[in-house]
Amino acid sequence: MLIVIPELDAEQVENTVERFRTVIDRTGGEAGDPNPWGKRKLAYEIDHRADGFYVVMEFSIGERTLTELKRILRVSDDVLRHMIVKLPPNYAHQTLPEGALDDEPVEVAG
Amino acid sequence: MGRKRGGPRRERPVKPKPCVFCKEDINYVDYKDYNTLRRFTSERGKIRARRVTGLCPQHQREAAVAIKRAREMALLAYVAG
Repeated sequence: MLIVIPELDAEQVENTVERFRTVIDRTGGEAGDPNPWGKRKLAYEIDHRADGFYVVMEFSIGERTLTELKRILRVSDDVLRHMIVKLPPNYAHQTLPEGALDDEPVEVAG
Repeated sequence: MGRKRGGPRRERPVKPKPCVFCKEDINYVDYKDYNTLRRFTSERGKIRARRVTGLCPQHQREAAVAIKRAREMALLAYVAG
């Protein structure tokens, strides 16, 4: 899951997410379709911003690429906050509006 | 016999109170599902005790982690009210 700054428009958000997808794909990972939650109010202000674009994406990735992806996410100015979580092997989509289930979802970024 | 006020002490009836996650057969407490997690926090945003939430030890732990993750992603507030 990642939060993109609210100053961008929907298309720019898509481009930003697409950039991370390419990074994952290019390095042998498998990126699922991103699931945009849209612009949401934050529970508290982050960098004096009251809202942000939430995007959730599932992907599997190698260990080396993961470090690289984390680094890119951290230095990216468009990303307000990100979280990569390892999913349990039996992870199934619950009540949330999420994308299609991968064969072997290892991590979710959003 | 030194019977206490209020009559003989009765045994409390055993009330089986299944954990809501066990009941719904949920094996992963998702941090993205902040509306469910909100039920396990006080109005102040603090994580409620197990005796209040009625969760089993495993799910209480998982819910606590999920709440902390949700807080980090600004889905839940650290302090509210």
